[in-house]
Amino acid sequence: MEVQKEAQRIMTLSVWKMYHSRMQRGGLRLHRSLQLSLVMRSARELYLSAKVDAHESEPPLPPAPSPDPHLHPPREAHAAAEAAAPDGEQPFPEPMDTQEAPRAEETPARCAPRPAKVSRKRRSSSLSDSGDAGLVPSKKARLEEAAAEEGFSSELRDRLQPPPAQAEGAFPNLARVLQRRFSGLLNCTPAAPPTAPPACEAKPACRPADSMLNVLVRAVVAF
Amino acid sequence: MNCSDESTYGNKADIISTVEFNHTGELLATGDKGGRVVIFQREQESKNQVHRRGEYNVYSTFQSHEPEFDYLKSLEIEEKINKIRWLPQQNAAYFLLSTNDKTVKLWKVSERDKRPEGYNLKDEEGRLRDPATITTLRVPVLRPMDLMVEATPRRVFANAHTYHINSISVNSDYETYMSADDLRINLWNFEITNQSFNIVDIKPANMEELTEVITAAEFHPHHCNTFVYSSSKGTIRLCDMRASALCDRHTKFFEEPEDPSNRSFFSEIISSISDVKFSHSGRYIMTRDYLTVKVWDLNMENRPIETYQVHDYLRSKLCSLYENDCIFDKFECVWNGSDSVIMTGSYNNFFRMFDRNTKRDVTLEASRENSKPRAILKPRKVCVGGKRRKDEISVDSLDFSKKILHTAWHPSENIIAVAATNNLYIFQDKVN
Repeated sequence: MEVQKEAQRIMTLSVWKMYHSRMQRGGLRLHRSLQLSLVMRSARELYLSAKVDAHESEPPLPPAPSPDPHLHPPREAHAAAEAAAPDGEQPFPEPMDTQEAPRAEETPARCAPRPAKVSRKRRSSSLSDSGDAGLVPSKKARLEEAAAEEGFSSELRDRLQPPPAQAEGAFPNLARVLQRRFSGLLNCTPAAPPTAPPACEAKPACRPADSMLNVLVRAVVAF
Repeated sequence: MNCSDESTYGNKADIISTVEFNHTGELLATGDKGGRVVIFQREQESKNQVHRRGEYNVYSTFQSHEPEFDYLKSLEIEEKINKIRWLPQQNAAYFLLSTNDKTVKLWKVSERDKRPEGYNLKDEEGRLRDPATITTLRVPVLRPMDLMVEATPRRVFANAHTYHINSISVNSDYETYMSADDLRINLWNFEITNQSFNIVDIKPANMEELTEVITAAEFHPHHCNTFVYSSSKGTIRLCDMRASALCDRHTKFFEEPEDPSNRSFFSEIISSISDVKFSHSGRYIMTRDYLTVKVWDLNMENRPIETYQVHDYLRSKLCSLYENDCIFDKFECVWNGSDSVIMTGSYNNFFRMFDRNTKRDVTLEASRENSKPRAILKPRKVCVGGKRRKDEISVDSLDFSKKILHTAWHPSENIIAVAATNNLYIFQDKVN
């Protein structure tokens, strides 16, 4: 659980950093984006493998109730996130600028779809030169992000089932290896650094991790 | 972790972003975030003032780069000077290359200590006289004036890089130089600004398959056909330009196998090489990644011959360093003139020197309190847990906003320049 939470926190942080780096003077830095996406990928793998382990260690439940604990909180929280999203452009730049820790949890849920809009605008203003393609996500990834944004709730239930199944096949050994190696990760408690976003204290924002995962998957692909 | 914001005490534009001695060590150039270049010159040692060993004073200051805007991509181009490289002196003037993210410029720095006087076509205020009043021909004569140092841009090498330039390197033929960005390296002739040759291109056909970028590049000090470039994956490639026009296939590939016991969540990003430097002899290369400095023998590709731990106590703090972005800091490293000592920076305004022969190392601090003239720098020590001795500083008390990314070593003497945010420290060896 700890591992899962930590991985989630790092994923959130990475998405936030990735978005924030676009706002910096000088534009998107390729090396930084690559490094952030590497960390995000590792965090995602860790999260998925920790999830697999959590499933394996749970006592066996009848099939009907078992998906529910996962579905209900995300659906509630998702409704909250959806309600928050139509707040629009206005409050959005401020959370980014002030870098307040509590907002860091909420904004990534909104910010991941944002780059799709921002990048689309930039893309249309530049020539479709292959030389420029490196600085904006590819068209394919952007369309998927847009689809993710729109088809959130419908995809949610579909998405929740496949990842554990995928994780089952790909990750059991990796999970063990990762968990053995990541004692350092667990020791880095967020208690010490004051600037760190609170580790999943903001529960509603934390909970739709699985739906955020979809967007994160696409964000990783895009970068 | 301590994060006092040193930059709030000064202007952000004054943050030094590069430091470089020229080939004789007479001049020291610094570039800053505001696009300015400041050149210091060493005082000539005079017989009268034996104690004042050549000090460095400001010689010239000029604005090298201005912020620009790329309208096509709606991106601002920072004026921050990423690198300065000197050309060897060939006449009375000095030449240097300075670069920001996109444009390289060749600057000529020259002295003027005479001025022509005695024009008879103009009056004292510079207004043209009525030609009817001029009855004699007078040739102006050169008269001494106060020394003036002027910097003029002689060449502007622009529009050749899609990505951000991280390195420039002057070739030993003194006719060409290279500029490297994240994915490409271009070769330029100093005389030609509207063309450059692309010699390395690692851009994949599909950007989604991108796994590594170029982080630094340098020409061999003697062989004008050889250069190296480092990658974000911790590898170094040595290329020979005689082999082919496009050096995508390396001649040598330097990579150390990963130590599985050191593997962690952030392994990949801390293995990224932030700087690569040839030794003066040309026999070795030195690389800097986040936690170590490594020396490689050009004849051995499978592992470095020496590895030095710069601040291994940070290995357990990588998570926090990721949060405050310090894990992305790009430290540089330098050789001394005889290649026997290497130096690199760290946090808390500490910098480290490693003696390759005696295997001794020292940690020193660049701070105002410690740097009164002729004061001797006291070695510092970081305590890694357990009992902290009196003079030691604990890891958690380190100030991560005070980082030394850029240092330089005089080519022949024991004089070092250390850039600590917006302050430049110059340390000299004690004279007996």
